[in-house]
Amino acid sequence: MFSIDLTSRTPIYEQIYENIIGLIVKGRLAENDQLPSVRAFAKDAGVNPNTVAKAYQELERTGIIYSVPGRGSFIAKPDSTVFQGAVLADFDSAALACADRGIDKQVLTEHLDNIYTKHGKGEQL
Amino acid sequence: MIELKNTVKKFDSYTALNGVDLKIEKGTAFGLLGSNGAGKSTILRLLSGIYKQESGEVLIDGQPVYDNIAAKQKVFFINDETVQFGSFTLKGLKNYYKTYYPNFSEELFESLRKRINLPLNKKINTFSKGMKRQAIVIIALACRTDYLLLDEAFDGLDPTMRIIVKKMLVDAMLDRQLTTIISSHNLKEINEVCDTAALLHNGKIVFSREIDSLKGEVHKIQAVFPQNADGSPADFTQEDFASTGLKILHFERSQSIYYIIAKGDEDTVRAAFAPKEPLLLEMIPLTLEEIFIYELEVLGYDSNDISGN
Repeated sequence: MFSIDLTSRTPIYEQIYENIIGLIVKGRLAENDQLPSVRAFAKDAGVNPNTVAKAYQELERTGIIYSVPGRGSFIAKPDSTVFQGAVLADFDSAALACADRGIDKQVLTEHLDNIYTKHGKGEQL
Repeated sequence: MIELKNTVKKFDSYTALNGVDLKIEKGTAFGLLGSNGAGKSTILRLLSGIYKQESGEVLIDGQPVYDNIAAKQKVFFINDETVQFGSFTLKGLKNYYKTYYPNFSEELFESLRKRINLPLNKKINTFSKGMKRQAIVIIALACRTDYLLLDEAFDGLDPTMRIIVKKMLVDAMLDRQLTTIISSHNLKEINEVCDTAALLHNGKIVFSREIDSLKGEVHKIQAVFPQNADGSPADFTQEDFASTGLKILHFERSQSIYYIIAKGDEDTVRAAFAPKEPLLLEMIPLTLEEIFIYELEVLGYDSNDISGN
């Protein structure tokens, strides 16, 4: 279920964090679903258990999962601001990439208008 | 915890370690990286009490290691020369180590042995290189030491066996907070198995850091700047960027495109480049392998020089 790219430039703990948020956004993990134990995750993905534990701690700190001592970690009630924050961060980095490549702000605004108009009509982009 | 304090190790006139300071916390998987002859194996041999340092301290849980049985019983060292006792059977080898390590568990040994189907009563001489490695790895884990030192850790193991050994290490780390110190040239392996790594060069530590934080800290940058008023391409030197508090590891320019490897987080890089109003600014974090190469390039260990280009 989790896809960790060991050759990626992105730190492994960040990949685990993003993976779990991604699965919740896509609806593959729901509230109160149990996450694999740190041990199972580390063995399965072939990564260091300390790295997995660090990602879980970060997920718990941001309220995405909660843990029950002796039983494991579970998905918390999804907080829309957390996920909107994650999506907006993606948007920001995409917009930043556009700015880096010298794309005019006006062009981006047109794209945004276009997306929201079509989305409002229920059309596919 | 393992500590080396200003450790110096010499072999006649050759200085293998030239004042090494290193701290390894309990429960970490620590990767020792370095150029050939950098001193990786020397550190492992000091930690297992094979060598004695000329000056400085080598401490395990606060105790000096050399000639100290209590400290040495906390450490198992898997040498890169595999097994020395070829005429022993696996059973004989196990019984030999068992006498030195009071925490040895027969139960754990049997369960590990069954997992990889290693014959108990055959001479080690008849084993393949990979099987010899497997034999010593399961004995090491069954000795249940607090510290496990692996020199060229996964040498000789096939891909399936690497995964099995990694899983065994995960269990040991979680069950009893095993600290592993792994020296390897295989950076991909270090990246997977370790959470912390140190880079050694010429008997000194270049850095010792958490791998994940290391990766976000060095960037490969590609930038293009506007032309000067007279139409000539923008002309910056390495110093123009270094002066803004960024550490430049590598600087290269081809016409108006700049290729720069710099140390600093994303915000620092952006802040340093912004005043020059780049038309294009791209940055990607480095892989562990690239960090290794560029850090050593700064120290004069340059692949371009060596290959004669």
